[in-house]
Amino acid sequence: MTFYFGDILPYLPEMLTALWLSLWVTLASFVVGSIGGILLSLAKTGPVRVVSAVASGYIEAVRNTPLLIQLYLIYFGLGQAGLQLNPLWSALIGLTLNNAAYTAEIFRAGFASVPVGLREAGTALALNKYQLFRHVVFKPGLRGIIPSLTNQLIILFLYSSVASVISLEELTAVLLNINNATLRTLEVFTYGAVLYWLTSALIAYGARTVERVMFRW
Amino acid sequence: MFDDFGWENLPPLLDGMLLTAFLVVTSGFLGTVLGFLLGLSRTAPSRIARIVSAVYIGFIRGQPVLIILFFAYYVIPLMFPAVSVSRGVTAIAGLSIYAAAYIAEIVRGSMLAVPAGQSEAAAALGMNFRQKLRYVVLPQALRIAVPPGIGFLVALVKATSLTSVIGFVELTRAGRITSTINQEPIATFLIVGALYFVICYPISMVGRWYERRLA
Repeated sequence: MTFYFGDILPYLPEMLTALWLSLWVTLASFVVGSIGGILLSLAKTGPVRVVSAVASGYIEAVRNTPLLIQLYLIYFGLGQAGLQLNPLWSALIGLTLNNAAYTAEIFRAGFASVPVGLREAGTALALNKYQLFRHVVFKPGLRGIIPSLTNQLIILFLYSSVASVISLEELTAVLLNINNATLRTLEVFTYGAVLYWLTSALIAYGARTVERVMFRW
Repeated sequence: MFDDFGWENLPPLLDGMLLTAFLVVTSGFLGTVLGFLLGLSRTAPSRIARIVSAVYIGFIRGQPVLIILFFAYYVIPLMFPAVSVSRGVTAIAGLSIYAAAYIAEIVRGSMLAVPAGQSEAAAALGMNFRQKLRYVVLPQALRIAVPPGIGFLVALVKATSLTSVIGFVELTRAGRITSTINQEPIATFLIVGALYFVICYPISMVGRWYERRLA
């Protein structure tokens, strides 16, 4: 078997453009989804029973079904309902809704790990509800879950490849196009695998750096 | 909405669900065997074994399942031109390669979670690497590995949906075919989602129950 890695090199800029799309779709969904995750975790642990049940139901439904089915429901399902979204918006919405459910569980565990004594101390210092959450629960709670959040970000990045199935031209879709054009299957997917691996390694490295800067105290 | 689904379309979905379960069992088994060996190699005395397993785990965990499946789909037939490889075989191979890396990491993490004193005490008793694993570290590590292992099992069930993309007619593919026949994607994918939920949710519940019992 002979390999022709050089033949694929001209396609590298195309792959990098697609990787950039994968990355920003991931980051946008992660940021918006994580805010949703914080709200969901608060709703789930909150005092209102109906709200808490709805939040739990949402989290379980999303976590126990495949992302691909969720994307199909948004892309084809909303289309049937008369709201045809393009692949980009479908992917953004799908990944955001998906990420919200996963991060909700991570945030819930993080906030629960803050000792009751600390909350009581906060109340004793006459902090209001918002201040208590912001300074006593959120920031210390976040510290312990940074590794889980990083892991979730990497998984979300890897799963953004599923958006290729609803024809979003991200890295996986572009790899398939190049494969069809060149028929250099092994070489094309080797390039792709290295790009995915390098990017996820960089995300892990970047997250460690952010953690060090954010939690210097 | 569900009236237009056409309930005669349900049996093909249930057939697909059965194949999804088949994929989970086969690739779960192969992935566990391979992952177990890789996880043990991570702490083995041999340097080469440690490096090979670390590279495998690190690289595969940085790949989307879809890329692994496409790789298996295109490359396995290239490597064995003499035999015709069915889609089921490529699907199982791809999922096993994926599962092995994650299970290896769970095995390694659980072994690290066993206090170092246990391993040192075994060494002090004159046990070799094999005896230490067999009688001291593994019995404790495997109990710790159960909750994350069950968590990964749920992830594996969901990952099998991606084999639909390489043309294996499991639950997701069956749903896609049905939705083009009845033109009712909302009802169809809600039902498909519910069928996945029926598989995944009980597994999740068992995991949570076991975790509470351990605590």
